Amino acid sequence: MIKYLFLELRRSLRDRRYLLLVAGWPAAAYLLFSTVFGAAADRSEGLPPTVEIMIAMASFGAMGGVLMASGPRLAMDRQLGWLRQLRLTPLSPARILGARLIAAMALSLPAIVLTFISAALVKGVSLPLWEWPVLVLVIAAGCLPFAAIGILVGTITDGDGAQGLTMVLYLVLAALGGLWMPVQILPSALQTVAKTLPSYHLAQLGWHVAHGVAPAVGDGLVLLAWFGGAALVAVAASRRLSLRTA
Amino acid sequence: MTYQPSATTTRTPSFAPSETAAECAVRVDGVTLRFGAVVAVDNLSLTVERGQTVALLGPNGAGKTTTISMLLGLSTPDAGSIAVFGAAPGSPAAHASVGAMLQDGGMMPGVRVGELLALVRSLYAAPLALDEAIEISQMHGLERRRVDRLSGGQSQRLRLAMALIGDPRLLILDEPTAAMDVETRRGFWHAMEGFTDRGRTILFSTHYLEEADVTADRIVMMARGRVVADGTPSAIKDSVGLRVIRFSIAGSGIAGSGIAGIDTLPGAVSATAHGNRVELRCRDSDAALRSLLATRPEAYDIEVAGVALEDAFITITDGIAA
Repeated sequence: MIKYLFLELRRSLRDRRYLLLVAGWPAAAYLLFSTVFGAAADRSEGLPPTVEIMIAMASFGAMGGVLMASGPRLAMDRQLGWLRQLRLTPLSPARILGARLIAAMALSLPAIVLTFISAALVKGVSLPLWEWPVLVLVIAAGCLPFAAIGILVGTITDGDGAQGLTMVLYLVLAALGGLWMPVQILPSALQTVAKTLPSYHLAQLGWHVAHGVAPAVGDGLVLLAWFGGAALVAVAASRRLSLRTA
Repeated sequence: MTYQPSATTTRTPSFAPSETAAECAVRVDGVTLRFGAVVAVDNLSLTVERGQTVALLGPNGAGKTTTISMLLGLSTPDAGSIAVFGAAPGSPAAHASVGAMLQDGGMMPGVRVGELLALVRSLYAAPLALDEAIEISQMHGLERRRVDRLSGGQSQRLRLAMALIGDPRLLILDEPTAAMDVETRRGFWHAMEGFTDRGRTILFSTHYLEEADVTADRIVMMARGRVVADGTPSAIKDSVGLRVIRFSIAGSGIAGSGIAGIDTLPGAVSATAHGNRVELRCRDSDAALRSLLATRPEAYDIEVAGVALEDAFITITDGIAA
């Protein structure tokens, strides 16, 4: 399983265009937004805008990296017949899935790190030293539900469909989850929706840490619930599909 | 006439439950699989002893791929049972002892040949050396090539390498040479010799009758989800019972009485004439030849031949279709 995981990771690292997209895009968006809104007073979360936006964009990029590394890639591997081939080896389906989840989660890191570096170097953001690694870990771990959502997308769609659905989910989750703009500016009905989304709670985790406090248990529970729900549906869907296409 | 129960299919009696070493490579017992209204595999029973090279031969839609897919645990039969070395297909024990080349098997995109082979190799307990697998599958010099940049033939050789790198006791190949030209196909089977020499069991499906004839110890012919013939390549030809007697009759002979009476000779099935050359298909060529010589002493240039496997194949599957 370790070898498979490493090869999945190496495959990701080799895809330079993809890496540039998942890491470069949120970092660039950070520089833009923090320049435009950076002069404003402290925002809704009570953090300096450069810090608040840094965490929002790191979460946005992390979520995108994970979603794209799980869904479309799974759909492609299934379409190419690689999953079928892999299923013939002694590697168990649970391990295959486990390795894919971890590999997808790892793809949250480039965006987080690059956004943080941009913030520190260009925008002069400074945080207590311990907060940096904790933020990286908390945001990366908070991406667990997106890995499961991606696996679900990759299970129920094929190649292009998976790309499309992933992009739609990505943008909706980012916009409604308050990663681009504070949820407070949304109509109240949408605010209610926003607060159920995993993207909202992912950003909350990071903002808590930036305040120097522990992430709230509630945010963690919502994220876990999303992970569990998506994973269950993915397993059920793959059972049905494999019965149908066997 | 079409079904030939073969001596090679008789089971080794198991003497004690612990006698697992005597467990045959494949045992399929009364297996049926339907896709909606279509019966893809119909009450199929088949036993493959260890060390055999068995060709699964049949036209498209005969159920070859479906059978293979059940042997690998990729689909589950509606009825009947399957065991691979005594283990359930798809179980860890079966995965450990079976290597397979699928028609739609893919490679992990974005990685190199050597990396992929090293990965697959690492999943088995007692695999071949990497060099050995590369040697058998003739992949030298391609180790650093990205798998998505291989030609069709190279991809197929990589599939073979992935199938045998675990040093499986049973190798299952679904139409391994389908996309190959004659030369490449010959090279493929030449490469396989290195593997069959090790006493491994091989089950492969093919459309190519000549390939089955040359390569396999045993041919299992399928049509419409059933086994229609099973035996050695020569037993298959015998079971069809068709031999051909070709002879010439001096011009007046054919012009006079035509071929009337020839096709009703004892042991004969049908006769066709091309000019003054007659081709007589026979169930019993000995009897037919004796009476031919008695009734048509003017026949000359007589030649008796067994039919090509191709003809046997058409005869058998037509019999099923009719």
